[in-house]
Amino acid sequence: MQGIDRRLIQNFEWPLFTMAVLVAGIGIVNLVSASPEQTTGLPDTAWRQLVWLGIGIVLLFATLVPDYRTLERFALPFYAAVVVLLVAVLLGGRIVNGSQRWLDLGPLNLQPSELAKLAMIVLFARLLARRGASAPVGLRDLIVPGILIAIPAALIVKQPDLGTTLILCVVSGSFLAVTRVRVFSFLLLAAIAVGAAAVAWLFFLHDYQKERVFTFLNPERDPLGAAYHAIQSQIAVGSGGLFGKGFGQGSQSQLDFLPEQQTDFVFSVLGEEWGFVGVAVVLALYLGILIRGLMIAHSSKDLFGSYLAVGIVALFFWAGVINIGMVIGVLPVVGVPLPMLSYGGSALLTCMIALGLLMNVSMRRYVF
Amino acid sequence: MNRLTSSAQPSDGTVERRLTGIALLVVSVWMLLLTRLFYLQVVQGDVYKVSAERNSVRSQRVQAPRGAVLDRHGESLVDSRPAFEVLVVPHETEDVPATLTRISGLTGRDLAAVQKSYGVPRGRARFQPQRVAHDLDRDALASVEARLWALGGVLTQVTPVRGYRYGASAAHLLGWLGEVGPEQLREKEFQSYRLGDIIGRGGIERLLDSDLRGRPGGRNLLVDAHGKELDLLSLVEPQPGRNVVLTLDHALQEAAEAALDREQKTGAVVALDPRTGEVLALASRPAFDPNGFATGIDPEIWRGLTNDPLKPLMNRALQGQYPPGSTYKVVTAIAGLEEKLVDAHTEVHCGGSFRLGRRTYRCWKKEGHGTVDLHTALVQSCDVYFYKLGLELGVNRLAYYARSLGLGARTGIELGGEMAGLVPTKEWRQLRDGTPWVEGDTVSVAIGQGANLWTPLQLAAAYSAIANGGTRYKTHLLKRIEEPDGTVVRSFEPEIAGEVPVSAGTLALVRAGLAGVVNEPHGTGALMRNLPGGVLAAGKTGTAQVVGMASGERVDTKDLARQHRDHAWFVTYAPAENPRIVVAVLVEHGGHGGSAAAPVARDVVVRFLERELGTYAGN
Repeated sequence: MQGIDRRLIQNFEWPLFTMAVLVAGIGIVNLVSASPEQTTGLPDTAWRQLVWLGIGIVLLFATLVPDYRTLERFALPFYAAVVVLLVAVLLGGRIVNGSQRWLDLGPLNLQPSELAKLAMIVLFARLLARRGASAPVGLRDLIVPGILIAIPAALIVKQPDLGTTLILCVVSGSFLAVTRVRVFSFLLLAAIAVGAAAVAWLFFLHDYQKERVFTFLNPERDPLGAAYHAIQSQIAVGSGGLFGKGFGQGSQSQLDFLPEQQTDFVFSVLGEEWGFVGVAVVLALYLGILIRGLMIAHSSKDLFGSYLAVGIVALFFWAGVINIGMVIGVLPVVGVPLPMLSYGGSALLTCMIALGLLMNVSMRRYVF
Repeated sequence: MNRLTSSAQPSDGTVERRLTGIALLVVSVWMLLLTRLFYLQVVQGDVYKVSAERNSVRSQRVQAPRGAVLDRHGESLVDSRPAFEVLVVPHETEDVPATLTRISGLTGRDLAAVQKSYGVPRGRARFQPQRVAHDLDRDALASVEARLWALGGVLTQVTPVRGYRYGASAAHLLGWLGEVGPEQLREKEFQSYRLGDIIGRGGIERLLDSDLRGRPGGRNLLVDAHGKELDLLSLVEPQPGRNVVLTLDHALQEAAEAALDREQKTGAVVALDPRTGEVLALASRPAFDPNGFATGIDPEIWRGLTNDPLKPLMNRALQGQYPPGSTYKVVTAIAGLEEKLVDAHTEVHCGGSFRLGRRTYRCWKKEGHGTVDLHTALVQSCDVYFYKLGLELGVNRLAYYARSLGLGARTGIELGGEMAGLVPTKEWRQLRDGTPWVEGDTVSVAIGQGANLWTPLQLAAAYSAIANGGTRYKTHLLKRIEEPDGTVVRSFEPEIAGEVPVSAGTLALVRAGLAGVVNEPHGTGALMRNLPGGVLAAGKTGTAQVVGMASGERVDTKDLARQHRDHAWFVTYAPAENPRIVVAVLVEHGGHGGSAAAPVARDVVVRFLERELGTYAGN
């Protein structure tokens, strides 16, 4: 029944795997340039990311072993465990730069909000699959999912980690795209979303976060303060031109003008040093991953598999759009890392597991 | 299988139709991103290239002025003064060797030193200002600034430099600074530091580094390709460090150090307030001048300090461990009284020596003290009385009372590196040497020779407990930490470490003896008489043998080479009734306590009383 079937190996998901490894490889090369100078060898951050990538690939293959449908049974316990971890983070997590996001597990730090994204996707895929695809979704059907999102979202916004909260909400919301939603329900939902945003604005957002939104809406407001990152990041990307300044040659990147250039603003280093050509290659690979993911959703023989694939595609899509949009000045500055390019172990592992799940669905499309 | 796929239902096509729509949406969003990137990089690329090349951002870290360290009366001991430095940004400088030569000429600094300070910046360092000359005076600065227009990529800035007002005074306690090392930067607790930042390396500077350093600021400047500053993009003002107020009294510290320095004595002085455990003075000699380290220590000087056989970096007041000599006799006296082996009237004959088995233990007074009771034995420091009493008590009972006074344990001072000292027991000897304790060892211990080791701080703390009627306070040096505007962040209250389990009557008898040491005929501490305001002091002398008592002989110390001479102790408190200060003095290889250490203690007590009486007209 389970285990590695010969057919599984024959059906190995080569396209997705190849594109993912290529993007992650570009990410590490880019990190070498984005990291502080070191006298010998690779910078610490690049080294650590390389180790994380190794672990991530092992995890990816481990994810392939069990049938993804087993996961359906564990959706709720997984969700509950993540909520417990999120509470633990708020009670005793490690504080870095004013945010309490990490659980200190001796040699490594776990960021449970990353796991929350996966848990949410698995849970929603299960809920929707149980309902069936044809049942129309009314407002009352959204109450329970709403609460299920609200719990981890509230815990994560409290850390505070606005970026991850945002991703969690939009990824969950994306499932609506594959259900039959009544028009009236949809309108009311939009009203609720606006109301929730207003409440968040009034009670949850920090001043610096509000400042960023104001700045985005009106960059002239404070060009030296909050808009500074956006302007400098555009100069970096723009000055890369068609072919870029070359590896390690970006004067904007080599100056510490962006404090987050290894994480949230890593794309600007790529843009400056590799130019439009480099950026287009990375965007093409990303798009390839997304389209391949949607194809997997399409070819899956069961609803759970389809929904799982859609959720994972949504995760990559939104993180990519929000991050790149921020770097090139079309979206406000929100701390969302770029999947597989930004420095960060938990985020990379989450990506690799998510890709593993996608491949799992793909490789079992004939196994029925 | 069925159980697993309970949700597997045939799709009615909704999902498939939606997926096509989603794919189209994703592709269009991606096209939008790509279009925007094309616009930024290809259409506007040259414009941004110009802004990136012509207007690059120069980030400068602005060091925060480090907090001051003040004594209990608000006298500033350490502060930060502004100094000027010249920096060169490699990336913006066309001809680096010529520029460095020019700077060397303008500042009058040695070219080799300027080149060495510039180093060989590579990679990212090429974009950051490299310091080439520091601690310049206004004239040198003016001559550089006048030529600044011709020197591309050269800039000047003000950086606070640490100033230790009184040089080597209290140097061990105040500590010193150094640049944070690369190995430290890898550790979590130093994550807010950057290479080149200044960090406390010893004493208070190290202990309270996070309070004293403040928060460094930074500024991002828009500069053109020639390094000319065009605009200030953003500025984060540095937050000045907090000020630290010590319990120390600089006048007493100065008196202690002057007294030690007068004859270039090696040793330590500790002055405590016996009512609180506050450290009023904590001196150690030889010392060093931390001003030399403030702008980066010269490796030559550092090597000299670490290789000096006199160990000037060691804080003898809390790291030096010495046999207590006769200052120990209070322990023997307290033990004897508490164990009811003697009372105030018990008399012992001292004929100048004491025989145990085949060995003779001499009293320091060859002709003997005659018939003595406890009081006389303390006043005249009769060895024979305490040989006999100690032998009756045994070493473990002595150890119990020594420990109850806080000896053989750290006194709790905030500074790092405090030594615990040593109070020997039978078990300790068995463990360490594997040989049994013999009675002869007890005889030596009873008068403070042999295995006992105390720090000057411990001795002062133990005598504080005797002086104040039996309360042991944790010794402490910090009074409060304040924000630059004077808001108190933390203040430190006296902490009781324990009560000495000894009756009031016992302590009263011992205190009477200690008062007699100073004020009665034949007392060994006569030097403490005639204090300002007619105050009467109490005290005890001690002479700790460096060469063992193996021979059972007491050798005249003047005949020995310096390193074999006895250590001199003197501990005193004043006034004898309701004491307000305790002073312990140790002079390494100083000979007799009464003559080598007591004058130092006297100076400190006199300064203290003058201050209280208002007759001291110092700073």
